Amino acid sequence: MSGLVSDEIAEDYKSSLEDLTTNDGIQIRTLTVIAKENTEHAMAISRVLENHIRTTPPLQKLPALYVADSIVKNVGSPYTLFLGRNMYQTFMNVYTLVDGNTRRKLDEMLNTWKQPAPGSLDTRPVFPPDITRNIETALIKARTAALQQQQARAQPDILGRNRGNGTPTGWTNSPTPSQNMPRPSQTQFPNNGHSNSAPPQTHRHDIDLSYLNRDVDALIASAKIDFANSPFNPVSRQRLKALVDLQAILQKQQLAPDQLKLVRDQVSALAATRPPSVAPTAATNGSVVSTPQIPTPPAQPASQPLHQLLNHNTLAELIKATASRQQSTPPPQVPAPLPQMPQYPHQSSPPQPAPENPLIAALRARGLLPGGPTPSTLTPSTSTPVSGRSNLPFLLPQGMQPTPPAPSQVAIPPSGSSGVPMNTASMKIPRFGLILSLYDSRPNRCGTCGRRFLTTDEGKELKARHLDWHFKTNQRMTESSRRAQNRSWYVDERDWIKSREAGDVNGAADPQATAEGAAGADGNTKQEPPKPWIRAPNDATLRNTPCPICQEKFESTWSEDVQDWIWQDATKVGSRVYHASCYSEVTKGPAPTRQTRTSTPDSVLGKRKAEGTESPSQKTRIKTEI
Amino acid sequence: MSLPGLELTQPSEERSQAPAPPSQISLTPGSEWRFEVAFGHIIKVKLLNGTAELFGTELAESQTYTFTGTKAAIFTWHGCALEITAAETATTTSDGVTPTVGHGAGGCQSEYTAEETPMVEYANVHFALETMREEALSIGKDGPRVLLLGSENTGKTSLAKILTAYATKIGRQPLVVNLDPTEGMLGVPGTLTATAFRTILDVEDGWGSSPMSGPSPVPVKLPLVYSYPMQSPLDGEGVVYRPVVSRLALSVTGRLAEDEDARETGIIVDTPGILGTDKPGTMELINHIVTEFSITTILVLGSERLYSTVARQYDNKPSSSATAAVFDEHISVVKLSKSGGCVDRDDAFRKATRESQIRSYFFGNPIPSSSPSSAITLSPHAQQLDFASLPVYNYTVSSADDEDEDEYDPSQLGTGGSFLPGGGGMDDYTPQETKQDPDRAAPLPGVVGSFSEAADNANSNANANNGSSVPLKKVLPPAPSALANTLLAITHAPTSASPAEVRDASVMGFLYVADVDVNKGTIRVLAPVGGRMPPRAIIWAKRWPGELVGLVG
Repeated sequence: MSGLVSDEIAEDYKSSLEDLTTNDGIQIRTLTVIAKENTEHAMAISRVLENHIRTTPPLQKLPALYVADSIVKNVGSPYTLFLGRNMYQTFMNVYTLVDGNTRRKLDEMLNTWKQPAPGSLDTRPVFPPDITRNIETALIKARTAALQQQQARAQPDILGRNRGNGTPTGWTNSPTPSQNMPRPSQTQFPNNGHSNSAPPQTHRHDIDLSYLNRDVDALIASAKIDFANSPFNPVSRQRLKALVDLQAILQKQQLAPDQLKLVRDQVSALAATRPPSVAPTAATNGSVVSTPQIPTPPAQPASQPLHQLLNHNTLAELIKATASRQQSTPPPQVPAPLPQMPQYPHQSSPPQPAPENPLIAALRARGLLPGGPTPSTLTPSTSTPVSGRSNLPFLLPQGMQPTPPAPSQVAIPPSGSSGVPMNTASMKIPRFGLILSLYDSRPNRCGTCGRRFLTTDEGKELKARHLDWHFKTNQRMTESSRRAQNRSWYVDERDWIKSREAGDVNGAADPQATAEGAAGADGNTKQEPPKPWIRAPNDATLRNTPCPICQEKFESTWSEDVQDWIWQDATKVGSRVYHASCYSEVTKGPAPTRQTRTSTPDSVLGKRKAEGTESPSQKTRIKTEI
Repeated sequence: MSLPGLELTQPSEERSQAPAPPSQISLTPGSEWRFEVAFGHIIKVKLLNGTAELFGTELAESQTYTFTGTKAAIFTWHGCALEITAAETATTTSDGVTPTVGHGAGGCQSEYTAEETPMVEYANVHFALETMREEALSIGKDGPRVLLLGSENTGKTSLAKILTAYATKIGRQPLVVNLDPTEGMLGVPGTLTATAFRTILDVEDGWGSSPMSGPSPVPVKLPLVYSYPMQSPLDGEGVVYRPVVSRLALSVTGRLAEDEDARETGIIVDTPGILGTDKPGTMELINHIVTEFSITTILVLGSERLYSTVARQYDNKPSSSATAAVFDEHISVVKLSKSGGCVDRDDAFRKATRESQIRSYFFGNPIPSSSPSSAITLSPHAQQLDFASLPVYNYTVSSADDEDEDEYDPSQLGTGGSFLPGGGGMDDYTPQETKQDPDRAAPLPGVVGSFSEAADNANSNANANNGSSVPLKKVLPPAPSALANTLLAITHAPTSASPAEVRDASVMGFLYVADVDVNKGTIRVLAPVGGRMPPRAIIWAKRWPGELVGLVG
């Protein structure tokens, strides 16, 4: 830090750095160019940059470090020298405070430092190897320590430090680097300086250079924070300078053991006397992080208190309460409950018939509402076909004309909810009769999944099939738990449009069944008799072997269902593959599924084939895996 | 020496507390039990008597349901008794996060009984929809198309589940459309999906599961999936969102035309919370959705301001359905209360939710349920792929908070920039900039219009001609190292498809990139299905859901 000009430039550079909040290539390039044009002030700029990396919030540390990276690669000396001096400590500080993603990026950057700057004629690596080696060693040590701790049940405080934190970082405010968090200002991070302190302290048993280095680093870090906090304090400035010099000596020269010991004692003494900025680090960090994020119970909304409705409230109060919320909307209508509906137990008096709501009347007039409660036995009428789908896409061959609504498969419950208008006021009116009908109209309940069925014969049959489905599914799940399963591919548009949700009533085509083509022969009997096919063998000689009967080669086709190349109309008998049609002609019957041993003695395969023989569907599909 | 965060996994015994004894909770009619379970902690809930429903889906009596990483509520119309037990948390989340065990019943982070719920309103919505369905059926028009609007954490998805569950409960089959890329439905985040629900929803797992090779205790649902690998629909002024929504709407319309059950029941459209804010461009997107899906009913949750804006624009206006004039079909806008149970899901929780969605896509149901048979473990297939042979595309639109368009990448540094000491031959940054500008400039309103028109006509060839203006760029070898830990969406589009076709193609599945070997030019991926990689165009979900570190060891 020499001279007035340097200070000015440094000041400018500092403010430019503070504008860098994201990984913005343009800004980083600009900062690099400035650094290049001011190489005579390299030292000042390097200091400013180091300081900035240290003090900036963790989310912004990576871009700041990228500036350093860009400078050393594009400008090189003397920045390499100045920045390299403290790079170990700068890097480790950043590494300690950022999340996993950023750490990975840091690792990648570190790797590039071991190579020559791209595009440069200089064959030497970006940073001298000893700098990068130091960092790498420390990182490896940290990882090893982490692993050991994991194995040896690390101390609770280390575990506790991460408790309640959603991300593996030590920084609660940085779950993702990409979140749209407003740029945190410095004032939001009062602890920033503290948390920036050096890598955690460990007990040292002997004079170890790397430990010593780290201690010095820590001291420098804290001194720098002091210095940053009070830049005009000559004491902290001197202290910092002394420490930096000491570090330079340590890194550059091999000191004799006794000298080292001396230095170490000195450092320990310094550490003991240093301001308590570092000591509380763990505590501060820990407390920030370990605070369990228990969301406070949310404030109650200004919604209609249900219990008031349910309890002893009179109807008048109810109407008042509703109306007071709905000044802008028409007065609420309390419809007389439909006669067949059960009264809600708590509603003691029958609601007084309200005058016809003008809105309802208007809706009726417009034909949006039926004239009154629709007769409960609503027969689906085949109405006039409507044209108007002429703009339908080509992939809807039948879509050009709407098919007249056929009788619905599921009968709508007799207590249909006719007559509930869709408007804000209407939504506030409790209709307990309807609500109960939601449950009571289908009292026949499945004990496994809570699905309800009608008490009609149809409902009973549906339930029987539903229970059947549960039973089969359970059976299949027990079977399939022994083999690997996987997610199926999603269907494409055409298949999706054509697909129908058959659901959980056995007997209909199960949507799972189509997806199960890949699983091949798993005793699934629900499908229509499949066309025999096998997977196309990968082996070239096998693939070129023709059908022994017609002497024609097999054609591989891509199967969407199986997601693999298959041979249609093929069947494997013994070790030979025949056209299924040829084979059945010759043998006068469906191809037998009984298997002799295949070339791959696979127990699973053998088992499935055994199942196949027992299968009543005369399944001819055989899954071959070669 | 230790660095915080480097502990890979926690030994489970460390935090194993004495399991809380089962606690019983009895609910009076019309009240609900709200609970929050942290990721990694598991609670078991059993309905002892009465009736109870979770977001509309009824719980079966005496069955044990397990929950983890959930914020939900169990409501009762008739009153019920529940038993809550903490499961032995034997496993840890693989990213080394220690689950927070709270002090509530069963170790919930937070749990309480609430008597004030908007369930009466929500049930009324269902009855009003039923009224519309019956009426539609009687005169032969399509069932109601419902759009849910509201800002973040107002309970849109919960209401969508309630409406879906009630509809399926009485035998209807609604088509549920998820337009929220931040959270997936039956799949991973970063997708827009449509699914027909006929069977019961999965109480434990939100919507349920998409098809697998094996059986599932709760019937699987078959979603149609489109890739939208961005967090906000507003990214690039909706230049990608709109056409994808149009395409999705087109398929949904196609399904409605052929599937009577779906047509009678109608559509329920869930939207991202950002559309409930007053950010510029949201009304245009809402309008796009209302038009594309011929919305008849707009439900606004919580926000007075949004309600008045939407009501002014749409209430009582004719719907965009082709038959609107014939049936005199009008849009109604309804305001609904936000439930007091809506809690803010912080970023960490949302991230954990996304990660768990991705994890269960590949590895199956993460909850070790009480009955071993209902826990489904899936085995994805790891394989090595030659990156150069993969037609991988990446979106080049930028968002307001974009940061990776012009990222500084230390591994590529030095190859660009005029200030290079060596003079620097190739430009690595500049081409991106210059290419990007026309991309960004091209999709002006006129072009966007032509997209949706083209989509309306289902003329993908016309789209193909517009290919140059689709901000979808092929990622050329060498494999960028940023591929690692991200998802790749395999579309149904052939490798030779134009960018517009790739954008409009539905997705057949996802790959997770575990490793990138820059030297060999190969990537190691996790694929849901084994076998040869289908030769299809691939969209890189680089920006959203972004990186998920540590899916594979």
